[in-house]
Amino acid sequence: MKAASVPMGRFLNYRVAAWGATLIVLGILPWGGISPNLTRLLFTSLVWVITSVAWSLLGGLTGQVSFGFAVFYGLGAYTAAMGINAGLDPLAAFAISGVVAAIASLLIGLPTFRLRGPYFAIATIGVSEAVRVVMTNLSFTGGASGYRIAEHGTFRPLEHYYTALGVAALAVGTSAWVHQSKFGLSLLAVREDEEAAADIGVNPLKTKLLVHLLAATLTGIAGGVYARYAAFIHPDGVFGFQTSVAILLMPIIGGAVTVAGPVIGAFVYGFVQEELVAAFPQFHLLLYGALLIVIILFEPGGVVGWLGKLWAWVKRTRRKSALASVG
Amino acid sequence: MDAADYVNLIVSALLLAGIYAAMSVGMTIVYGVMKIVNLAHAGFLMLGAYFVLELYERLNIDPLLGSVLAFPVFLVAGMLVHWLLVRRVPVSDQPTLASLLLMFGLWLVLQNLGYLIWGNSDRSILTPRTLSSIHFGPITVPTVRLLVFIPAVCSLGLLELVLRKTWYGRAVRALMQNRYAGRLTGIPVEKMARLTFGVGIGFAGAAGGLLAQLYSFSPDFGRGFLLRSFVIIVLGGLESFWGAAAGALVLALVETFSILVLPAGYQPAIAFSLLVVALVLFPGGIAGIFAKKRRWA
Repeated sequence: MKAASVPMGRFLNYRVAAWGATLIVLGILPWGGISPNLTRLLFTSLVWVITSVAWSLLGGLTGQVSFGFAVFYGLGAYTAAMGINAGLDPLAAFAISGVVAAIASLLIGLPTFRLRGPYFAIATIGVSEAVRVVMTNLSFTGGASGYRIAEHGTFRPLEHYYTALGVAALAVGTSAWVHQSKFGLSLLAVREDEEAAADIGVNPLKTKLLVHLLAATLTGIAGGVYARYAAFIHPDGVFGFQTSVAILLMPIIGGAVTVAGPVIGAFVYGFVQEELVAAFPQFHLLLYGALLIVIILFEPGGVVGWLGKLWAWVKRTRRKSALASVG
Repeated sequence: MDAADYVNLIVSALLLAGIYAAMSVGMTIVYGVMKIVNLAHAGFLMLGAYFVLELYERLNIDPLLGSVLAFPVFLVAGMLVHWLLVRRVPVSDQPTLASLLLMFGLWLVLQNLGYLIWGNSDRSILTPRTLSSIHFGPITVPTVRLLVFIPAVCSLGLLELVLRKTWYGRAVRALMQNRYAGRLTGIPVEKMARLTFGVGIGFAGAAGGLLAQLYSFSPDFGRGFLLRSFVIIVLGGLESFWGAAAGALVLALVETFSILVLPAGYQPAIAFSLLVVALVLFPGGIAGIFAKKRRWA
């Protein structure tokens, strides 16, 4: 037992070191003379990292697949947009975005979390579409013609970039904490069996509401950060079904039950989408649909699971060749 | 509004209900036998619409005949999809998230194949009868709606007959009631599931063809109707055909009469909110499932 704990501890340190290195690289990258286009790409990927990590807490760890995260993303975007237009400090506006999304998560979660598994998933499609239709018709937000953010002063891409990086780091940190905490264990318990979880003193409804709230807050802030950058938002974009789908696909493709999986999924999605959208506007979703089928059928662990298997295979063959050379 | 207007609204709701029932029955039967929430239903509705459009534009085949032809074609396609994909996910007495996500992935593939082939502009099927209508005294009925209603209801009747009178139908009903008992009595479950999935997709294709004669469509066509199908089968109790017909009627009436109180722009939200309300507040329709779930877990 003791022997096993030493490499485990070392492994943990490797992880912390890897995350720190990633953060430092992302932090100094904009100063390394990269093109504005790459900065923009990194910015969008970082916003996706936030939503992807947030979704993985509910969809991966807790096993509640939601098709409705565009609601939080859109509410966050509109709240931040209106706050900034009203003269609020952007950071304060983002905070309010998070609060609004958190309140929405309670309003949605209270009725829908009585449903289980696929029924919950279907209900979230309904909520998301209903909210989108209402936002398309609401007059004080400009309805279908969208909403513009009028910010005075020059456009500073790096400010947006570091905001996104900061929130993404916060999201990953939160996720890493949840993964090793007692709260994370109760999420897993709810995922595996709600009745059994209740028997050992975990309140399933409370747990689900809490993680939903956490995920919604992060997603709402992400929507706000994106809205300030884009300066123009419209219901079919931020509240669109495609947004919900994107937020769901990234963590599943990366591996939704890990800390790193959703991050990898978000970067892959951000970059691949950008490359493919220019050439074939629809091709990337076709690709992701196919990828989703493959992942469900063959590797539910996503990219991270696949990498893990690859690593195990490499280790096995290495040991074999080592044995062969000794023998 | 006088009495004739109300009668007109009721008649149009009835006609709508017929096509709604045909649209959702494919989902009901797949759910009943395999406990799979078939999100790809939307993709096949869309493909059915384009199938009928292509037949009409290229070969000048009447859209009504085209919809009938869609059934066998999509039946075979459905059986193929089952053989390729669906049989590979584990089944249980409860719908699983794996099967839901698998069908969702398939829907994404179908939808975006549609975009690749047909682009994203809205299409519609225009025939000489599209704009004509029939008058029965004070009641006015658009001809197409009536012509689409008839095959929809006939197909439902035919399905009911097959389910009541044939060995296949008895096997399907047995599997809906109890999968394990069905297996014990010697029903080839895998074969039945394949055939049932084919029938479900066949209905989706045919219903897509019928809907295409009423509405314009794009590769994103199925989404709104997918949610309506959910509402219908949830309202009706997920595994019953007569329930689905009743659910279709309720939804059609609510949608039709909502025009009187809600601005038209909000109308699509009705089906979506009704879905949540039905799932959460009226577990009456799905009472059996809820009870079963408690026992099971």
